[in-house]
Amino acid sequence: MNTGNTITREIYWNVAVESFPVTQIVMYGLVFIAMGLFVHGLVKGGFLTRFKMWRLGIATDDDRLSDKAGRAVKALVEILTHKKILERPVMGAIHFCLFWGFLTLVAATTLVFIQADVTSPLLGVTFLKGNFYLFFSMAADIGGGLALLAVMAALVRRYFLRPAWLDNRIQDTTILWLLLLILASGFCVEALRMQATELQAGNPMGPYVWFSPVGRLFAFLFAGSSVKAAETFHRFIWWTHLAFSLSFIVYIAYSKLLHMFMTPVNIFLRSDSQQAPLKIMSPEIFENAETFGVHNIEEYTWKDLFDTEACMRCGRCVEVCPAYNTDKPLRPRDVIQNMRNHLEEKSKFVMGEDGKAKIVPDEEYKGPALIGECVDKDTAWACTTCMACVEACPAYIHQFPKLIDLRRYLVMMESDFPEEMNEAFKGMENNSNPWSLGAETRGDWAKPLNVPLMAEKQDAEYLYYVGCAGSFDDRNQKVSTAVASLLQKAGVDFAILGAEEGCCGDSARRAGNEYLAQMLIQQNIETFGRYKVKKIIASCPHGYNILKNEYAQLGGEYEVYHHTEILAKLLDEGKLKPNKELQGKITLHESCYLTRYNSILEPPRKIINAVPGAQLSELDRNRKNSFCCGAGGGRMWMEEKLGTAINVNRTQEAVDTGADTIASCCPYCLTMLTDGTKSLNKDEDVKVKDVAEILNEACE
Amino acid sequence: MKIAVIVKRVPDTASVIKIGPDNKSVETDGLKFVLSPYDEHAVEQAVQLAEKGECEVVVVSAGGEECKETMRMALAMGADSGVLVKDDAITKATGKGVAICLAGALKDMGVDLIFAGKQAVDDDGSQVAERVAELLNISHASVINGFILGEGKVEVVREIEGGSYNMEIPLPALFTAQKGLNTPRYPKLPNIMKAKKKEIKELSLADIGVSEADITSGLEVTSMEYPRERSGGRVLEGDTPARVAELVNILKEDEKVIYTQRA
Repeated sequence: MNTGNTITREIYWNVAVESFPVTQIVMYGLVFIAMGLFVHGLVKGGFLTRFKMWRLGIATDDDRLSDKAGRAVKALVEILTHKKILERPVMGAIHFCLFWGFLTLVAATTLVFIQADVTSPLLGVTFLKGNFYLFFSMAADIGGGLALLAVMAALVRRYFLRPAWLDNRIQDTTILWLLLLILASGFCVEALRMQATELQAGNPMGPYVWFSPVGRLFAFLFAGSSVKAAETFHRFIWWTHLAFSLSFIVYIAYSKLLHMFMTPVNIFLRSDSQQAPLKIMSPEIFENAETFGVHNIEEYTWKDLFDTEACMRCGRCVEVCPAYNTDKPLRPRDVIQNMRNHLEEKSKFVMGEDGKAKIVPDEEYKGPALIGECVDKDTAWACTTCMACVEACPAYIHQFPKLIDLRRYLVMMESDFPEEMNEAFKGMENNSNPWSLGAETRGDWAKPLNVPLMAEKQDAEYLYYVGCAGSFDDRNQKVSTAVASLLQKAGVDFAILGAEEGCCGDSARRAGNEYLAQMLIQQNIETFGRYKVKKIIASCPHGYNILKNEYAQLGGEYEVYHHTEILAKLLDEGKLKPNKELQGKITLHESCYLTRYNSILEPPRKIINAVPGAQLSELDRNRKNSFCCGAGGGRMWMEEKLGTAINVNRTQEAVDTGADTIASCCPYCLTMLTDGTKSLNKDEDVKVKDVAEILNEACE
Repeated sequence: MKIAVIVKRVPDTASVIKIGPDNKSVETDGLKFVLSPYDEHAVEQAVQLAEKGECEVVVVSAGGEECKETMRMALAMGADSGVLVKDDAITKATGKGVAICLAGALKDMGVDLIFAGKQAVDDDGSQVAERVAELLNISHASVINGFILGEGKVEVVREIEGGSYNMEIPLPALFTAQKGLNTPRYPKLPNIMKAKKKEIKELSLADIGVSEADITSGLEVTSMEYPRERSGGRVLEGDTPARVAELVNILKEDEKVIYTQRA
């Protein structure tokens, strides 16, 4: 192989002027101007102003700066691997190619800069030669080539496939065309140089032209043009390429391209938990604070405000939102974007001289309101808290918890909520269940099974926390019965609280009634404490989640299992032996509060697959992409007055699998999907059952 | 203007009522007590008027210390203060005795308007408010589901079978609220907190010039029993004469709704 100085290319070939570096002077002059405009963009266009705006956030936030090294490593891994972004394979691949393509090109350009203007003139050292040059050329071409394909794919997606949830602004067009022009002009420069030099007969680089594969392909465009013509055209395109590239750099500071800095910061700042936690309100707040929840944007945390900056409007949160998918006015992305704009407006009124937010009484503030104008009330109430938006967001933004803050204000300060909630709140208050049924009858479902009460069996290993639905709703009492029967068959040592059990507080909390939620939670913690409860089996994923992840905030720490986890474990241990064959096909609808909130994915599948003859046919939207039934976030108790029905949307998907049984693991889902089969006139053909019921039928 | 609202502490309607060991009273341990639902409409009406103009709303009740908890619910809805006629004897009083206590508290308060629920949902006596009006010698209209305040008079709509009855009544007057009158509010949290600090004035029987004998009734509860549990319907079979015979037999022997007159 030919080594030595012949395998290389001349930097500034055809554009440099002999004896005087006029090209470099003009080029670096332009680079300097571009950098100046970039910095001007950051300062004037907002970054510094916005930095002050984020600091307006009043509410205290979790510590986001502990373990900086660990956070940095995690963020770096996330960014380099594109793990989250690649969860949407097509758009993920497009971004991956753009990211790595441009990173390669930037690295290549930097190497050129180092050799041409640092090591070569100062030290006489060149390194872009020989095998390293060939590698350099190949890498840059492949990177650029992939980026070029990616830009074209992005253009096709944005302007031909046009997903409905994608919003299109002028800057989206500008950015894509700028990228296309940078890449195309870059390859033209390379191709014209090759046409004028390497592709000419006798050029020592002749054998190596395919080490610049994309440049070589582009050169076919110019095949046949003379060396002179190629040189002339090359000079022109070289300067054009420079102009496009510098424009792009400037545009970063003025457009959504800024996400290349802001999003990594947001990934660095993300909380460890996979949950999107609602703000903790300490019980003392209720005695002392004058306002609850959020109705002024500065009442959020600084991180909430920073979130609005990390959003580059990709729209994944919209794509998966059950409210959006059923024509309700909620689009999580737009909530975040509107808040971003609103912050800009509002900061003019509340920015104090010390950089902190000053209290501007509601009567004195004349600008647009956060609730009602920036975010519509219907939008705040449309959320089912299914967490699909948070799960989908590649920038780790917490969209829906911001809506719960608004609900807290509306409920606790304004008593302004869908009127159906009145009955539910009162029921929870007076009878500790949203159905307003007599609290004393909570344990009645268990009488035929002789399930012991904690009061009778204080040393029981597990507390079976049944929840309101399993205790009071006729249909869901059958599920509790199935769970209890299975636990009895497997010889599990458990007891229930009966009338002493209280509502878990999930619906109250997520509907914004934090005061009521905490009363309910404290009541339960007190009862659990009296029986020294350590291990809990919960049937309702909402109760499971709040007991497991949120009771600790008020001092209740327990080992909590969902019944699917326990049943799967009992199957593993051979303590349950399903022996009765099941006819027909089953599909599985998963609860958001199991999948996205708690990563419980396999236990329900394990249970179904353990049943002889069961054929599990998966839904299209499954596991962490599962689609909400519509009942979370207190929506179970509210009427769905806007758009189409979420439960029907999901039930249709389940019916389309051809299954005759829809398996569920949540009482709310069970109710919503059963109603769905009725709405679709399929309730004769398709039955909705909890996985525990299916297993119980198979265990004789 | 001063508005009074008469309220009562009652067991939540969803509660399972148990008869006490004496077989003459209701077991109150473990019962959840609430503001009687119709009283909520009465409070709401008063608070809505107060929000529109210069009004003071006073909640009035009679009974033991525990009534204060219920009165705080009305205060959380927006009433300004409370007056409780407190004596343990009131707990055993009938509608007449309670009305005497309430009227005693109200007579010198100078109220222009009194609201109450159309009935309390515990013993459903539907008479205390009307008795109070009679004792105070003011006009009253019961079971209203419409209310418009005018100058020195009000226009109300009473619900009657198959229609409505529109009346104009001069003040002072007393009205009892039916469900359609308004939608009771869910209290705002700051108001719940404020309600804890609002004044509830206590009056003894002596303060209102009533003796225990005045409110003791001649009525005595001799025993209580549960309603019979509902069972499914029965379809009689056979030819018509046989079915009629069986039906008569059932009505006589099982249901005991017809009696054979003794000769």
